[in-house]
Amino acid sequence: MILRFLLAGCAVAILWATVNLRLAAAEPVSFNRDVLPILADNCFACHGPDAKQAKGGLRLDLRDSATKPAKSGQIAIVPGKPAASALIKRIETKVAADLMPPADSHKQLTSDQKEMLKRWVSAGGVYEAHWALVPPVKADVSTLPPSRSPIDRFVLARLGREKLKPSPEAAKHTLIRRVSYDLTGLPPTPEEVAAFLADRAPDAFEKVVARFLASKHFGERMAMWWLDAARYSDTDGFQSDETRTNWPWRDWVVAAFNANMKFDQFTREQFAGDLLPNATPEQKLATCFHRNHMTNGEGGRDPEESRVDYVIDRVNTVGTVWLGLTLNCVQCHAHKYDPLPHADFYRLAAFFNSIDEDGKAGKAAKPYLEYQSPLAARAVAEAQALVDERKPLEAEARKAAEEPFAHWLAAKSKVVAGGFTAWHPLRASALESIEGTQLIQEPDGVIQSSGPNPNHEDYRVIGPVKLARVTGLKLEVIPHASHTGGGLSRGKSGEFILTDIKVQVRRTGSSQLRDILVASAVADASAEQKGAREYGDIKGVLDDDPRNGWTTKGLDQKVPRTGVFALAEPLLLEADEELVFEMRHRSTLGDANIGRFRVSLTDQAGATVREVAVAPMEELAAVVRSNQSGGDHFNLNPKLRARLFEQFLADHAPYQTAKAALDRASRQLTEVKAAAQKLNVMVLAERKEPRTTHILQRGVWDKPGDKVERGVPAAISAWPADEAKTRLGLARWLTSRDHPLTARVTVNNLWAMLFGAGLVRTPEDFGLQGERPTYPELLDWLAVEFMESGWDVKHVIELIATSATYRQSSVASPALLARDPDNRLLVRGSRFRLPAWMLRDSALRSGGLLNPALGGPPVKPYQPEGVWEEIFMGRFKYEPSEGAAQHRRSLYAFWRRSIAPTFLFDSAQRRVCEVRTPRTNTPLQALTLLNDATFLESSRALAADALRSAVKPEDRLAEIYRRILSRGPSASEAAVLKREFDRALTHYRAQTADAGKLISGAQVRPDPKANPAEIAAYTVVASLVFNLDEAITHE
Amino acid sequence: MNEPLNITRRYFLGRGAGVSLGAMAWSRLARGAVAAPLPPNAAGLPHFAAKAKHVIFLTQSGGPSQLELYDHKPELQKWAGIELPDSVRQGQRVTTMTSNQKQLLMPGRTKFEKCGRSGATIGEWLPHLRGVADDLCFIKSMHSDQINHAPAMTQFLTGHQIPGRPSMGAWVSYGLGSENQNLPEYLVLISKMQRPSDQPLYDHYWGSGFLPSRYQGVKLRNSRDPVLYLHDPDGMPREIRRGMLDGLGELNQMRLAETGDPEIATRIRQYEMAYRMQTSVPELTDLSGEPESTFALYGPDSRRAGSYAANCILARRLIERGVRFVQLFHPDWDHHSRLPSWCVARCRDTDQPSAGLIRDLKQRGLLDQTLVIWGGEFGRSPVGQGKWDTIEAGRDHHPRCFTMWMAGGGVKAGFTYGATDDFSFSVAENPVHVHDLHATALHLMGMDHERLTYRHQGLDFRLTGVEPSRVVKEILA
Repeated sequence: MILRFLLAGCAVAILWATVNLRLAAAEPVSFNRDVLPILADNCFACHGPDAKQAKGGLRLDLRDSATKPAKSGQIAIVPGKPAASALIKRIETKVAADLMPPADSHKQLTSDQKEMLKRWVSAGGVYEAHWALVPPVKADVSTLPPSRSPIDRFVLARLGREKLKPSPEAAKHTLIRRVSYDLTGLPPTPEEVAAFLADRAPDAFEKVVARFLASKHFGERMAMWWLDAARYSDTDGFQSDETRTNWPWRDWVVAAFNANMKFDQFTREQFAGDLLPNATPEQKLATCFHRNHMTNGEGGRDPEESRVDYVIDRVNTVGTVWLGLTLNCVQCHAHKYDPLPHADFYRLAAFFNSIDEDGKAGKAAKPYLEYQSPLAARAVAEAQALVDERKPLEAEARKAAEEPFAHWLAAKSKVVAGGFTAWHPLRASALESIEGTQLIQEPDGVIQSSGPNPNHEDYRVIGPVKLARVTGLKLEVIPHASHTGGGLSRGKSGEFILTDIKVQVRRTGSSQLRDILVASAVADASAEQKGAREYGDIKGVLDDDPRNGWTTKGLDQKVPRTGVFALAEPLLLEADEELVFEMRHRSTLGDANIGRFRVSLTDQAGATVREVAVAPMEELAAVVRSNQSGGDHFNLNPKLRARLFEQFLADHAPYQTAKAALDRASRQLTEVKAAAQKLNVMVLAERKEPRTTHILQRGVWDKPGDKVERGVPAAISAWPADEAKTRLGLARWLTSRDHPLTARVTVNNLWAMLFGAGLVRTPEDFGLQGERPTYPELLDWLAVEFMESGWDVKHVIELIATSATYRQSSVASPALLARDPDNRLLVRGSRFRLPAWMLRDSALRSGGLLNPALGGPPVKPYQPEGVWEEIFMGRFKYEPSEGAAQHRRSLYAFWRRSIAPTFLFDSAQRRVCEVRTPRTNTPLQALTLLNDATFLESSRALAADALRSAVKPEDRLAEIYRRILSRGPSASEAAVLKREFDRALTHYRAQTADAGKLISGAQVRPDPKANPAEIAAYTVVASLVFNLDEAITHE
Repeated sequence: MNEPLNITRRYFLGRGAGVSLGAMAWSRLARGAVAAPLPPNAAGLPHFAAKAKHVIFLTQSGGPSQLELYDHKPELQKWAGIELPDSVRQGQRVTTMTSNQKQLLMPGRTKFEKCGRSGATIGEWLPHLRGVADDLCFIKSMHSDQINHAPAMTQFLTGHQIPGRPSMGAWVSYGLGSENQNLPEYLVLISKMQRPSDQPLYDHYWGSGFLPSRYQGVKLRNSRDPVLYLHDPDGMPREIRRGMLDGLGELNQMRLAETGDPEIATRIRQYEMAYRMQTSVPELTDLSGEPESTFALYGPDSRRAGSYAANCILARRLIERGVRFVQLFHPDWDHHSRLPSWCVARCRDTDQPSAGLIRDLKQRGLLDQTLVIWGGEFGRSPVGQGKWDTIEAGRDHHPRCFTMWMAGGGVKAGFTYGATDDFSFSVAENPVHVHDLHATALHLMGMDHERLTYRHQGLDFRLTGVEPSRVVKEILA
């Protein structure tokens, strides 16, 4: 069976190819379509627009050069005479040394290609300008087959030629789902679906399109496209990756799209809002577009090199977003394929070379606009409400702890009556040193060193733990007569330097260690530390850096010193586990190993491990003992009572939960409040003295060549005579009526948004090496329509979305798939996986969790713990947003350039401009959708909703299906759902603990009245449905 | 050669699995019961017989000092404290960290020894590597174009200083595919350090650039989730996940029959691979079954999960399982100050494990088919940074020359190639550019760097870029 299908597929393909060739043989040769791609691919690298490279003085991109004698005296193309043309001779020769393209180019012409070149030369060797550089005109559509819209006329005409029929219209629920994603990035609500299904009017779909275009979510959807193109990020990138506050610009983009700002104005404001007469703050804000590039604050970097990089980045971005040309090729040399000389790049760069910037990053990346966002107040109110909600809970928890505290205190008072010791020496079962120092433990737990005294040394004290848990360690460094000067070490100076410590656990018989995280270190004395990388402060022992660490150098050497280390979490050891305490002496000078010391452990929480002092419990013991005569009733001084209460609370889980929740909310409020102040947004502003601009030889920043003036590539279109050579003029040139590229490139990007791929499949490259449009006349018609409408973005989208072409079903027969696997002929609707950001937003909406608020400071959606920390080795910590802020759209997710949000697979990287993101299908994506916290939270919420929505399981399952897929299940689908539901329900009824774990998410509390097993089972089904291909696909 | 393999694969799945097989047969197929490994060389790859099947790239981030570790310059003693002659400097730029100070020469801070039969010079801070000197192939004439970390590391790994190109590992997995259906082709391991690093390790260092993202390196993290999102949520046991995936597969199968979209067949496969990874990855990262002798070989730090040493053991386990490209990163080699303590610390982290890895691969017969590469993005300057004659001194970045070594997979053992001048300031003979290193590594993997190309934005991109580069034939065994 497999084989038969394969063969059938091949047969169709072969037939198709044959038909193509036959057609080609009959038609006259088109230079652009048939010849140029062959020349560009195989010849231009040596005989193309890069004049410096033109080997043998021959350029095949210019007819003048190709038809004149080259250096060799031979003529490449003698029009009408292939036999006399060197080009033809050289591609057909049997002499290996003469063959073109040469063997070392790894390029080879097929016989069809050779034949085509011959036919072309025979027909006169006629050249044409590259299609994309000729201004578009509207073809006459009246001669084309009639249909709903001009778009369809072009498509029908072509399909007719191909002997194909368009696909039928997609089902209504599919259609509304498709257009809802395309225009708002969200699935339709069940109400929207129901209303559309019920609307029998002929213009029902047009009304839906109009409604989505008017939705405030339209601007958000468009902004996601634009932010990728603008390489927008909330941080600088590079080494320090500092946070910037440019997000008000993101909100400007959303507002501009929602207001349907015309694309020419949209361009002008982002290029030159600051140069407009009486510029408003928002117009200045718009210029942040050209400041969204990465900035490099790496130590040792020359800021001028960075500044040049930023200018280059702007030119490349203009190239990709407006021109659809790979200008980046021209940074180093003339373009190999397109008519762009090296100087063109720097003429364009000159427009951006006089910004009042100095290449710095972080908080010094001037010029700035001081701007206060009107959209931050809402976020402050939201964060404040959460704090207000949690504050009383914390107070209540504190109050509720009073009573158990009293019991605890009474019980403890009895326990400590016989005396109490907080610290217990670690009794070593083994004492190790790396370099041979001898260590001996004395009866009181003190360890004395003797024997060799190496320059650098690590000690390891290993021993069993008798305590039920360990909350901290104490290290006493003790002077001894055997040490130098009776001091603290046997080193020359008698001083010690402890560079690092490690706390680890080892299981008997196991070869592996686990690291125990130490949260803090305090000492009773330290030498005054002069710099970050000096010895002194005991905190230096926690960072694996041998250039800092603890010393008491300069203080009295004959006094014992104490350091206390608090563990991040109480450590519980199994019976067969031992504690390992490692002390590293690896200082730069060396010779400062601790001579005598004792390591002790405690199980006390709170002050005991956070300060070097008498432990509260020891104080209590003393008080109890001095009050023996007074019986059970004694008076604690309030200070000690308070210290004991804090110690109790530190261990009291109900209080810690409430306090942690409040702390998180408070930190969020502080952050949001700061964001509501006046912020510095990076914008454009001209410096007083313009810089001169030079061509950079080979694109290297400090190799200036000839001086150039501001200008645009002559091959594209002329500079308007009366226009000043400013950024504003540049924006006007880009959006002038006779510009051949901007409108084409933009409508192509809009088309790609609705069809998953553009009419030109290389949206970033309309040059010779890009693909030719599948429907050139349609692209040109849309481009002209776009300009004639006054650059009206919504108008173009509406035209596309209401066309019959757009409304086709995406179902494809095997024969059609084999013939046109990529749907270049537009003979069906497009079927492709939705971008990851839409999937997350969809889950929030389907789960009923979506917070639809617009704009404001960035939020932090769930991502796995430790992702930022491990990249920056702890320098940045990621705290997911709390409360309603957690359920904002992905557009608002904080974007750290060096580590993009983890749930966004296949997304733009936002390092440089990107207009086409890849679409892949990997197991890692499956894991993300199965296990990401947002999807689980949405599944739980949807499960709870389903439970409330109906009584019968079948109806509840159907509700889950409808909420996610905008349709109910078929009978066979329902059967699968029911089977999996029953299976899960049986499990969770038997294993209630599993149910409890599955349904308690971080933020959504299960309904106490609902049955946990049922919620769990519906949660499993909801997660299943969220992962269906249909759920994640644009159909 | 854009994705021809994938098209065949999808076509096969789409037509074969999608339409012809019943649900039962599908479920066996999807679970891998009848999943035959796909031919890795469908697109004419490898171009010729490979010497190495796997790569372990021990990336030392920050720029290790060749002057202290490998490049012995006794002549420099005479020049101690004397300004670097202009005739040697030849206008070489320095970073702004030292551009304002006098360029006073600082001799190497370590003692050297000629090691093994080959007599390779290795500094005293690397005692264990001295023991495997006869297995190593040193290149002392490496040079790069970039003087700052991020651009230099980006060029070192992707061939170009600006982020956005595929990493070497991505190219290799794109070219050769995997031998293991349960693990990604390219895995990345990063040493866990307490110290906040000055040079973050960006994920574009192992990114796939414009290649399809399934070729990007997958970072194995040292945490509960070695791969992001690997663990099922609490309260979801395996049998529930299995049942859910069965239901999911069945419903997707129905959709496939309705729409005919071959992507759905691929998706069904990928969910099943995800399920298998949930078992194969934890099994892989669990070192508790390793014998005591392994930990003795790789050193005491190897007992600590996430350490460079433990990652070296993991690298060997990955190679054993057929993973194509394993890249370790050890940060913090950027020693601008206090070389004698700081650099020693990083040597201590890496010396015994690197040597242990070589010995281990050798004793298992894996070294012949595995190319091990050790090196950082650039070297360090012979000029002292700070007061050259104090322990405070360090060295600034230096792209003009640095040392790397390779071992195994088709390179000469006990061999040294290239040399620097008496100052270790410039390459004196047989220069090897970063691109030449790439070309050589690809060659050893059976690929011609000029033919391993990918069309993007109208250009045929390759790892070695547009400038001519060469396979360093002289080091091939």
